[in-house]
Amino acid sequence: MALFSAFQTIFLLALLSLKTYQSEVLSEPLSLAPESLEVSIDSARQCLHLQWSVHNLAYHQELKMVFQIEISRIKTSNVIWVENYSTTVKRNQVLRWSWESKLPLECAKHSVRMRGAVDDAQVPELRFWSNWTSWEEVDVQSSLGHDPLFVFPKDKLVEEGSNVTICYVSRSHQNNISCYLEGVRMHGEQLDPNVCVFHLKNVPFIRETGTNIYCKADRGDVIKGIVLFVSKVFEEPKDFSCETRDLKTLNCTWAPGSDAGLLTQLSQSYTLFESFSGKKTLCKHKSWCDWQVPPDSQEMYNFTLTAENYLRKRSVHLLFNLTHRVHPMAPFNVFVKNVSAANATMTWKVHSIGNYSTLLCQIELYGEGKVIQQNVSVKVNGKHLMKKLEPSTEYAAQVRCANANHFWKWSEWTRRNFTTAEAAPSEAPDVWRNVKSVQGHCVVTLFWKPLSKLQANGKILFYNVVLENLDRPSTLKLLSIPAPANGTELTLDQCSYQIRVTANNSVGTSPASVIAVSGDPGNKEVEEERVRGTEDGFCLSWKPQPGDVTGYVVEWCERPGDPLCDLQWKNLGPNTTSTVVSSDAFRPGVRYNFRIYGISTERIPYLLEKKTGYSQELVPSDNPQVLMSNLTSYSFTLSWKDYAAESQPGFVRGYSLYLKSKAARCLPGSEKAVLSDDSICCKYKIDNPKQKTFVVENLQPASFYEFFLTPYTSVGEGPQGAFTKVTTPDEYSHILIRVILPMIFSILLIMILCYLKSQWMKEKCYPDIPDPYKSSVLSLIKSKENPRLTIMNVKDCIPDAIEVINKQEGTRKSLTETEPTKPTYLYLLPTEKSHSGPGPCICFENFTYNQAASDSASCGHVPVTPKAQPQLGLLTSSENGPKALGKNYVNSLGEIPAGETNLNYVSQLASPMCGDKSSLPTNPPEPALCSEYKTQMAIPMGLASPPSITLLDEGEHDH
Amino acid sequence: MDLRAGDSWGMLACLCAVLWHLPAVPALNRTGDPGPGPSIQKTYDLTRYLEHQLRSLAGTYLNYLGPPFNEPDFNPPRLGAETLPRATVNLDVWRSLNDKLRLTQNYEAYSHLLCYLRGLDRQAATAELRRSLAHFCTSLQGLLGSIAGVMAALGYPLPQPLPGTEPTRAPGPAHSDFLQKMDDFWLLKELQTWLWRSAKDFNRLKKKTQPPPAAVTLHLEAHGF
Repeated sequence: MALFSAFQTIFLLALLSLKTYQSEVLSEPLSLAPESLEVSIDSARQCLHLQWSVHNLAYHQELKMVFQIEISRIKTSNVIWVENYSTTVKRNQVLRWSWESKLPLECAKHSVRMRGAVDDAQVPELRFWSNWTSWEEVDVQSSLGHDPLFVFPKDKLVEEGSNVTICYVSRSHQNNISCYLEGVRMHGEQLDPNVCVFHLKNVPFIRETGTNIYCKADRGDVIKGIVLFVSKVFEEPKDFSCETRDLKTLNCTWAPGSDAGLLTQLSQSYTLFESFSGKKTLCKHKSWCDWQVPPDSQEMYNFTLTAENYLRKRSVHLLFNLTHRVHPMAPFNVFVKNVSAANATMTWKVHSIGNYSTLLCQIELYGEGKVIQQNVSVKVNGKHLMKKLEPSTEYAAQVRCANANHFWKWSEWTRRNFTTAEAAPSEAPDVWRNVKSVQGHCVVTLFWKPLSKLQANGKILFYNVVLENLDRPSTLKLLSIPAPANGTELTLDQCSYQIRVTANNSVGTSPASVIAVSGDPGNKEVEEERVRGTEDGFCLSWKPQPGDVTGYVVEWCERPGDPLCDLQWKNLGPNTTSTVVSSDAFRPGVRYNFRIYGISTERIPYLLEKKTGYSQELVPSDNPQVLMSNLTSYSFTLSWKDYAAESQPGFVRGYSLYLKSKAARCLPGSEKAVLSDDSICCKYKIDNPKQKTFVVENLQPASFYEFFLTPYTSVGEGPQGAFTKVTTPDEYSHILIRVILPMIFSILLIMILCYLKSQWMKEKCYPDIPDPYKSSVLSLIKSKENPRLTIMNVKDCIPDAIEVINKQEGTRKSLTETEPTKPTYLYLLPTEKSHSGPGPCICFENFTYNQAASDSASCGHVPVTPKAQPQLGLLTSSENGPKALGKNYVNSLGEIPAGETNLNYVSQLASPMCGDKSSLPTNPPEPALCSEYKTQMAIPMGLASPPSITLLDEGEHDH
Repeated sequence: MDLRAGDSWGMLACLCAVLWHLPAVPALNRTGDPGPGPSIQKTYDLTRYLEHQLRSLAGTYLNYLGPPFNEPDFNPPRLGAETLPRATVNLDVWRSLNDKLRLTQNYEAYSHLLCYLRGLDRQAATAELRRSLAHFCTSLQGLLGSIAGVMAALGYPLPQPLPGTEPTRAPGPAHSDFLQKMDDFWLLKELQTWLWRSAKDFNRLKKKTQPPPAAVTLHLEAHGF
């Protein structure tokens, strides 16, 4: 074992001596190793900056070398980065290399070493690595201070979408540290017991004040945080373009991208680099930059625009030929010269774009709504003749130019306005007339339409009207009417004139418009036809005229209701037989009347046809006032004769009569209809618009009806109005009237007759009773017989009659069986008033029960002959007072006239007590009175004192 | 404390009260000398109004800073805010303060806070936030003038700022953005505490100088962040 160890030692020594020999032999190449390696840190950028040099190079010797750099983290064995850096090396040149760490440098200790090798074809023998330098340690943590907690990186600025690594460094092992991103706890990777690392991927932009990240210990008031500023992605410039206007300066423009969106905006710089010339300029503006074109006429340009901010650099390129990017200046010294009615010349100048370049200029002429475009090639001075212009018209001419060889952009327009000169009016004015005859004179109203701008060729100053009397052709009359009149009124002594109208401007006169008026105004009666208007107007047609017609004129009023009428006309050629009249003035519901005239060869218009119509018919605006008449039980008549159907906003085609009744079925001639208020009624349709009366028939007597009449046009019916109520009379009322009226009339007639013939009537019906005192007999008696003899006063007692009864003895019959005997009365005196006179003496008879009494002749009835009646009556009147009284009573009860003779029975119960039926229940008759009839005398109850009979005096007896 | 926007009726009442009393605030109306009583009352009302105004402003500003500064329970240590005048004080010490010292502390505190607040104004990005901050600064300037008026009425001299000690908001190069946000947070919090304390201060002064006025007396609870 000892031997083995001794052998091993000898072998190692031999090997070492061999190595030393080799080093001495190859000492020359080994001297090209990196030396003086220094490592510095940039915490903000998380960068390690290395600098070194290679000393053993000969003077002026330059070699290409490659340096291999190794970076380890925490411990040297943990190599995290190896990179070969190639560069050209000079003697004692300080070489620099930087490395950006993803992990903040404060989070862990880093170590760096490097070695070099010649990588040059000149010295291929030296292509081998030198020795490694010693490890250079970078330990930021040791210089952090004594705070218990740190969070790194401090206030880092990154772009949206980046990945960021964060760490905390804690000085205490006992503390449990928790970290939060925007208030949300993060979970990291423990790098060592004091350091924890958090990897944030694809960080978003949250707010302009940055994203807050903080860590805190669970014990103590330790809290540390950082703000991670996340900017929006820096965009590259867009629409990068360069052009020149004068071949002296290039103007480059671009659209910068959106800003970073941070509280403190990241500064952006724009640099313009031209690779052919190698020139570079820092642009002062964010979106444009000027580049001075050198006088050596460089044609090709290759520009690189570099936009840069703290985080990123963006570049765009542009390669172009300068002459292809010429944007000429606007033409100058632009004039319009030699302006006539039809021509004008435009001249201008352009800025030169080189000795051999030609400009293409574009001229645009605006006028009368038209655009004329023409192109002209120009070197320096431009000229263009504008032809076929309209007289007296405003034009605008403008010119712009571009490089004719390599078109890039048009220049701006340069514009000039001008007006062409006037010319004589080209067309005759359109003239029409209206002829009226007023007090033997012919009043002609002339109308003409103003000439259009194209026809007028200038400003119309006046119109000349020349009147030529057709009867005396040599007589001319000239009227000059200043513009802008569009008509005039002429009063002519006769109507045979030819009228010529011309329009005049400052240059000349238009052709004349000729119209003639004759004695016949042409307003002959022709039948009016209806035409149907549409939205496009009225389509009018007429029959062609057989004779020579030079044309037709259609005339109408645009405001028919207006006194001014606004007369319009339309001239049409001789071969035209139809036209469409349209106007914006046509309104729905207005009736327009059209007259069609033919124009004779003598230019005299004569009326051919009349048309009337509506551009659009409407429903009637109002309903007629309906009068009702001839009301009977079964019909009534309606009339609306005052209704003006012509003034309605449509042709009235007829009338609709609505009738409401309680009957469920409609009458013949009508049909059911539903009104707007959903009520149902019967509808009569009157198709004839000229019919202004209507008889509603087949009605029911004594029934209630409601009716409503409305006209209708082709569009519909008139407005819904109120219904008129009507009730048919009773069927018999007229019959009653027919009977009662004649009766009343007859009675009145009779009364009048009676009044007029009262004397006659008196004599016939109730003649005067002769007064004995005034009789001549009385005077005779007084003088010859007895002077004391006087005439009995009739008032004392007047016997009515003397009854003579033919009694048959021995026969007694019952009341029913008894055949009445016919009494014979002897009328003594005619009684005028049986009641008003003094109480008569009545002889009461009763042959039913009191035969004895009758026999006893207590009544003193004396059969007498009628001849002896007057005298006898006078003598016996005082003795038979009670009988007479009784008879009077019977008469007064039975209201039997004195002349009636067949009343033989007077009821025994005919006393006021028993005969009054109404008093029967309360005052029943005395049984003695009714069952046992004793007195046979009827005496008033209040006065009777039976059985004695007392004569009544006059006053008490009177009823 | 909570700086939440809300209680608009309370704010309206405060605003009305302040507007009602504003013409008589000595800082704004120095023509008359109504004595310290009304001035103290009006200064008290103004602190109440500013307290409410600050709630709205702080809510907006802390949202602008982002979490965790706008979280209700965020209560970080007072790290970089040592230069801010501290409102919290021992209760016994506070009770033992005399009127002059009490007013002087208030005046000095608001003078400093106003300077810091103006720095905040320059920092703000949005126009609306800048407008709100400028409005609040004007109101705070009014409060400072009002306190000066009370001190003048009581015959106390105004504290003179030492030359070169004007507080600025220019952080050093080591001052990170997170610490800057923390400072902003503490500025607003300290301002809220000061307004709350001032209300107590002026209430105490008011009781000492005069019987309670018949005018509007607002009782409002101070809320934390």
